[in-house]
Formats: sequence, C-alpha cells, structure tokens
Amino acid sequence: MTSLAVPTTPTHPLGQRWPDAQVSVEGVSKVFSPEPGLFDFLTHRRPTGYVALQDVSLSIEKNTFVSIIGPSGCGKSTLLNLLAGLDRPSVGQILVDGQRVRGPGPDRGIIFQNYALMPWLTALGNVEYAVQTACSGLSGGQAKERAREYLALVGLERAMHRFPKQLSGGMKQRVAIARALSISPSILLMDEPFGALDALTRSYLQEEVLRIWEDHRVTVVLITHSIEEALLLSDQIVLMSRGPAATIADVINLPSLRPRQRSVIDQHPEFLAIKLRLEEHLLKETRAVEERT
Amino acid sequence: MFESRISRPLAITVSCLSVLVALLVWQILATQGLLGQNFPGSFKTLKELAWWLSDPFFYNGPNDLGIGTNLLISLRRVLIGYCLAVLVAVPLGLFVGISQIAQSSVNPFVQLLKPVSPLAWLPIGLFVFRDSEITGIFVIFISSIWPTLINTAFGVTSINQDFLKVSRSLGASQFRTVVKVVLPAVMPNILAGMRISMGTAWLVIVAAEMLLGSGIGYFIWNEWNNLSLPNIFVAIIVIGFAGLVLDQIFGLLQRRFDYQD
Repeated sequence: MTSLAVPTTPTHPLGQRWPDAQVSVEGVSKVFSPEPGLFDFLTHRRPTGYVALQDVSLSIEKNTFVSIIGPSGCGKSTLLNLLAGLDRPSVGQILVDGQRVRGPGPDRGIIFQNYALMPWLTALGNVEYAVQTACSGLSGGQAKERAREYLALVGLERAMHRFPKQLSGGMKQRVAIARALSISPSILLMDEPFGALDALTRSYLQEEVLRIWEDHRVTVVLITHSIEEALLLSDQIVLMSRGPAATIADVINLPSLRPRQRSVIDQHPEFLAIKLRLEEHLLKETRAVEERT
Repeated sequence: MFESRISRPLAITVSCLSVLVALLVWQILATQGLLGQNFPGSFKTLKELAWWLSDPFFYNGPNDLGIGTNLLISLRRVLIGYCLAVLVAVPLGLFVGISQIAQSSVNPFVQLLKPVSPLAWLPIGLFVFRDSEITGIFVIFISSIWPTLINTAFGVTSINQDFLKVSRSLGASQFRTVVKVVLPAVMPNILAGMRISMGTAWLVIVAAEMLLGSGIGYFIWNEWNNLSLPNIFVAIIVIGFAGLVLDQIFGLLQRRFDYQD
C-alpha cells in the first residue's frame, strides 16, 4: 500500500472539455481510506488510504463502443463503479450528458460478471423487475410485454419462464443483457461480462453483443482483460496503467470497420499493429505487478 | 471411508427395526426390574398410548383432560406466542441487518438476553399479566424471538451485494429494494431462524406448563403426582411426534424457498 499525493484540482490533459462528449471523466482520483481504528484515533493519525485511481480523464462520445483494458488490479472496476454512480470519486467529477453523476440511475444499465440475476425470479421476472422499477409509468401488462420483447431480442423467448438455476452461464448473461437494455439506457456499462464463461460461449456472446449493438446503438463501456475481445468489439480502447494510482496510459482509436469479423482482425495490418502494442503494454505492466516485492 | 448410499426402502426398514429393537430392550430391562420396581415396560406403555389415542379429546374437569385436548392447549399457546415473535423478529431483524445504528442499539439486548432461559421470565410474566395463559404465551414469545431475529439480521448482512447494486442502479427506492430484493433474498435465512425458533418454543412450552397448570406439560406434572410413569411416556411420545410434524412443516417450506443457483 502506498500513499501518494492526490491533486486537489482536476486537471485536463487537453485543457478543454470535449463538446460532444456524452461521458466525461474529469481529473478523477479514487482513494479508499480504511476506517480509523482506536489506535489511529488516540495517536491522531489518519490511516493511509489506498489510491486506486489517480487523475483519470476520459471522454466518450455518444454511441461509441469503448473498452477499458488493463492489468489486473488496475482499478478498471473502480472506474466502472464511479461511472455507474455506485461509488463516488474522491477528487474530480464525472459528467454524463452534461449532468454530474451523483448516484446510480436508469440512464446507465449495468452488466456484472456474475450475472447478478435474482434466483427467486424467472428470467422474465428479472427483466420485468427492472422495467417496473425504472419505468414506473408502464402498466403491469406493458411492463411484461416489454420484458418479453427484450428477452426475444437476446434469443431467450423460449426460456423466459425458467429460473436462473435452470439456465446455462451464457443464457444467464443474456438475461442480464436483456435486463440492462430493457430500461433503454443511453449508456451500457459492462464489467467483464464474459469473464465467467467458457471460451466457446464467450465467442458466441461477443458476436451476440455485436449483433444487438448494431441494431440498438448505445454507448458501451466494457471492462475487459482480453485483447481479442477489445479488438473485436470496440471503436476505442482505453489502456490503463497498473495500480496503485492507476491512470490512463493511452487511448487507441480503432479503424471504423463494421461489421467486424474475427478473421479480419487477425489479418488487417492496422489491427495487428494495435494488438502488438496492447500485448506489449499489458505484458510489461503485468510483469511489473507480478515481480513487485 | 463411508459406505455407499442405501436405497430408501432399506433405510426405512432399518429405522423400523431399530425402533423395534429399542422397544424390546426396554421391555426386557423393565421386566427384569433393572430400571427400578414397577418401571413400565414398552408393552404396557404402548397399550396406554393406544388407550389415550382411542379417545384423545375429552374433558372431565381441569385435571382430567384427553391427551389431544392438552396437546391443542399447548399448540395454541405456542402458535400465538410464536407468531407474535415472528411478527416482531422479522422486521426488526431486517432493520438490524440494514442499519448499523439499529444493530448497535439492539445488540446489547440480544447478547445479554439470548443465553437466558425463557423460564426465568415466568415470574415476571405472572406478576405483570396476573394470568397464566398470557404468561405462557409471553414466555413462548421471548423464547422464539432470538433465533429468528439473529438469522434474519445475518441473512441481510450476507446478501449478495450485486442484487443491491442492480436494484440501486435501476433507481429503486429503499422501500422497494427491501420488499422486492432484500426480503426474498433473506427468505431462506428467515425460515431457518423460524425453524429453530419453533423448536425452542416447543421445548420451552413443556417446562413452562408444568408451572402454569394446563396443557401437555402440566399433564406430565400431573401424572408424576399420580406416579403414573406409563402416562408420562405416552406424553413424551406425543410431544415428540408433534415436534416432528412442526419441524417437517418448516422442512417443506425451506425446500420451497431454497433457490440457490
């Protein structure tokens, strides 16, 4: 655990705000401070905090697919939690559609690695709960209809009356995707959504996400540690340095090649160059993390 | 190390045989006079049991009630006291699990009062209520409240945080989250607590009724004064069966709400 000085005023790398940015992260730092114990209290010591993120600035344009990639423990999930409003930055601010993020809201849908489906509700029930909660104007019937619609979108109309324990991992994550999309968010936040799936299911779901995203354009922020995944899905890759005090090392714009195929990524020279660059960076950072004593 | 699983019919046969052997050993020990003079054997006890069960619901005055009538008196007290306890314990447990302040304010009482035998409250109840019936219900209430309260609160603190994150991110109100997410999520814990509470209540009622003057516990006390050991064994068997049925009801409920994925 290291303690680093945290700047008190947000700094912007380009000195200006992107005018058409939907999401702008402005000089955000996050420090996790432990509760002061009795000893700290008696000695007037303030416990040393853990600096997870330091001076992160980022701008995301509307309807782009952005992947955030970095070595493990680099604060990717912390950043996502801040975007979701589930946690607050220690320094700096996050704006979504020009509004400062003060808490979670139905304009941002979240997909978790472990699906977070409620086991006492069926697939339909899970999506319905989201619709009923976020869209209070709908009647019960309308909410159910909408939930059905989104389950059909992810190809689960025939499994909608099953409980989560009766669904495979891939199906569960599809229900979670349906749930996140059913409230019509303008931003979809995905926290390593395919991390718990086997390789084949993962590939299938990545293509599904691409297909759905082509039809339902929203801004997506995807946390991942898979280079292939980032290359296949994103318009922009945000590369993070290792923690503690992780920050953004680089932002890479990918060629706007859509719809994108796996085979193309393996051959396209630009993609190959980016892939090498990502691999080099991640390997370097991971080595530094693993060899730290 | 462990033998392989046995089939269900075999399991039932073994259980029946085990009971038969125990009855036989009991009979032999009793007829040999190894348990003291006039100790009833299993045959005599079973005969008495059959007699009591042939006409379970009679009323020949306060000291001569059918075993079923006594059982119903006890069950009624237990159910009233128990239901009141659950009505208090579940909301309080949710509150304690959610709020640190509630936890800090309730914790001293739980820690201090939980280890106390509920029977210690009997004189207090008699003094305050001046009524043996209400005092019985009160003692059951006190004995039932802790396991349900503690299990509910524990369930809330161990709830999957992702469920709460999902609910918050959808913009659900606190109240909606508690009713629609927290309550169903802790249902297995609540039922486990209620099952333990019911077991405790059923243990306590017998002892309480020996001092209160009616019900199945008083029946035992009465038969001790009559020095009728077979009838005491009859009561033990009936109490055991009633407890078994109550416990199995919760077993079924728990299976219904066991939704681990």
